[in-house]
This record gives sequence, C-alpha cells and structure tokens, in this order.
Amino acid sequence: MTADDLARLGTCTLDDESCSVCGDNTVPVRVVAEAEPGLVTVEDRLGVRAVVATAFTPDARPGDVLLVTAGVALSHIPAAEPVQS
Amino acid sequence: MKYVDEFRDGDLIRKALDEIERLCEDGRQYRIMEVCGGHTHAIYRYGLQDLLPDAITLLHGPGCPVCILPMGRLDDGLELAERHGLTFTAFGDMMRVPGVNGSPLEYQARGVDVRMVYSPLDALKLARENPDLEVLFFAIGFETTSPSTALTLMQARAEGVENFSVMSNHVVLFPALKALLDGPDCRIDAFIGPGHVSTVVGCAPYAFIAEDYGRPVVVSGFEPLDLLQSVTMILRQMNAGEATVENQYTRAVTWDGNLAAQRAMDEVFVLRPHFEWRGMGSIPESAHGLAEAYRPWDAEAKFDAPAVEVAEPDEARCGDVLTGTIAPPECPLFGKECTPERPVGALMVSSEGACAAHFHYAHVEDLDILA
Repeated sequence: MTADDLARLGTCTLDDESCSVCGDNTVPVRVVAEAEPGLVTVEDRLGVRAVVATAFTPDARPGDVLLVTAGVALSHIPAAEPVQS
Repeated sequence: MKYVDEFRDGDLIRKALDEIERLCEDGRQYRIMEVCGGHTHAIYRYGLQDLLPDAITLLHGPGCPVCILPMGRLDDGLELAERHGLTFTAFGDMMRVPGVNGSPLEYQARGVDVRMVYSPLDALKLARENPDLEVLFFAIGFETTSPSTALTLMQARAEGVENFSVMSNHVVLFPALKALLDGPDCRIDAFIGPGHVSTVVGCAPYAFIAEDYGRPVVVSGFEPLDLLQSVTMILRQMNAGEATVENQYTRAVTWDGNLAAQRAMDEVFVLRPHFEWRGMGSIPESAHGLAEAYRPWDAEAKFDAPAVEVAEPDEARCGDVLTGTIAPPECPLFGKECTPERPVGALMVSSEGACAAHFHYAHVEDLDILA
C-alpha cells in the first residue's frame, strides 16, 4: 500500500482545513498500530499521524487503509485488497 | 506531484470528453444535479462545466449542510451557550457562520467559551477531563458526520458523562432529494450521487429515484476523471432510456454501505417530524433528533432552546439555485450584497455552497462587483 494508493481515495490530509461538515475531507489513512481498544494510530500520505476510532471498522489492522471523517473511520480496505482505479 | 495523476491526466480527460461529446444526442439537453458540496467544489475548481458540451448542464443541489442550516438554529445554540455558561464546541466550518447576533467566533470575542473541535469525540473528551465545564457539541452534517455523533453519544451514555450534550442538526439526504423531485418545476434529469455519504448509507437507498422517478443515479468520486466518468455513465443510461443506480466510486463505496455505522445511527437518532432547510423550506422527516434513551444528552431538552426564527431575505433566490431553476449569477444579490465575506443567502455561507464556489472560481464577467 503506497502513498499513491491513499491518494486514489482522496487527496485530503489530517491537517487539512477543508470542510468536515460536507464530508469531502474524508481522509484516506493507513493504520500504523492499535492504540487502545477501539482506537488506532493512523498516518496520512504526508506522514501526519492521528488516533481515530474504529467502532465502525472493527477489523482494521496495521497496514490497512481507512477513510476517516471527524475522527471516526467509516470505510475499511484491507491491506491485501488492491485499491481500484 | 504524482499522487492523483491518473484521475487528472490530460489525455484521459480528453478521451472522456470525446466520449461525452459523442454520447450527446442532437437537440437533447442533459441536466444533471450533484448533491454534495465536495462535488460542487470540484466542478468549479476544475472548471468541468466549461469543458462539457453545451447540451450538458450541471446543477448544484443541496449538498452543503452548513448552507442549508436555518440561521435560527445556530442562534439557538449560541444563545444556549451564552445564557447557561456552556462551552460551545463545533467543527471549524461553523466558526465564521453568521448568526443574528454574530458568528461563534464573535460570541467568543464577547467572552463565551467557544472551542473548535475536529471530532465530537474531542468534545466528549473535553467534558470528561473537565467536570466543571458543561460542554455542548453543535452537531451538523449529512450521513457522513452523523455516525461520529452517534458513536460519541453512545460513549457518553455508556460512561455516564453528565456534563455533555449535543444539539443535533444532522440532516438526512433522501427526503431532500424527494422534495426536489416532487417540486413543481423539477428540471433534473439525473443525479451524481455523493461519494462520502454513500460510504455510510451505500447505494441501495437511491433506488427510489430510479424506480419511482425514472432518473439515473451514479455515485461518484471527487476527482475530475471520476466526475466525467459519472457523466458518461449517466448519458449512457439516459440515451438507452434506462434509470438505474450505478456506483462509479467502487474504490471507496460498497452497495450496502457501513452497516455498523447505520446501526449506531438507528440506535441514537430518530427522525424529526419536520426540519427547516434554508432555501428549501420545511421538509418532513429530513433531520435527526435524539432518541428517547439519549434525552439526557439532548441539549434542546436539557436547556430549553429558545427556538429563534429568522426569515430568509426575500431577495435571496437560494431556493431557485438549489433546485436548479437559476444559476448563481442570476440571483440579483450575487456578488453584490451577497459575497463570501458578507453572505446574505444560504449558498454563500460555506466555501462548499454553490454560490460561494461560483464566486471563487467562476468567470470574472459573472461578478458585477468587479465590473
């Protein structure tokens, strides 16, 4: 999973100041590590890290890709699954 | 910059435009509406309307929750905070939105405790770590942000955090689409479906648009090539006399959406009987209130909201823009009394609003103020 793969899902990053409300700043990130139950540390394509909730993507594992809105992951793409063009 | 070359590649874009040109039937008009602020912004930012044949008109529907929020709701939240000494928290997008007595930032300047948060979970954390504060989260957004509010309320309830409440302004997309289609002057031939809302709700809920109203829907990504491919898919359907729901954004959206997020929303929210959409009027069952079990965390029940009503200015033709009846520059206030710095109408409020996007990216000749 490369930075290109993340960018195929959107170019927003964790420190963007675009509009969260409209959901267009849903951020593609890669899971770096499990932080604590229900939370994982993630990294965006520029290397910015944050901790996000995985209540709605409980199978997320290190290496997987998540789409995150407002601190919560909404979509999960396992590392083994190629990001479609 | 390599990242998204494949979705912005000039050769691929030209091929897509050639295909669109070929698909346009002689004398036929195609009026396609997007209902996502992100799509609206992308269409203006990349100038896609100018690239398309004249036969295709892109209409910019109600895709921005900040824009469609009635002014009175924000005033209610800020009044509550000021009157009861609450800590008012909201997404950064809300901070400059004008209320009758000022924006959240202007309230902050008057001494009200106003704080920007990235997530409602951050607002809950603030309450948890500061028992002396009474924290209100001003929740807003379509189905993309509703799950984060639902999760936050479930955690607040599970932990028994009593100094936290939510003022829900979450809206539901589908009743608004139905209201548009039922409108007497509906001129919409097809919809570009919102990408990120659909990561949560999936594609299935759009079926009524195809089956009951005979309009194609294509759920789309946000890059220029995504949007042009979606237009191509819509044209093919229309030319074949078909109306189905298709998913162009398969790299992020599944047919069923995120079922866990949908279950959380079902537990925490109930549909309000009516909700006012700025520029569109009252739409039945178009917004989320809190379910009975979450009443202790419902700011409107906890603090007796004042229910401020603010009339939309008569001259602002936001509703006509939202329904695709007119384009933004056809409103008499556009670029004159109504600008992004001093918005009068709903669609100039957020950068994702159709009028604000048009103001920022459209041709200079559309802006009389510069003439």
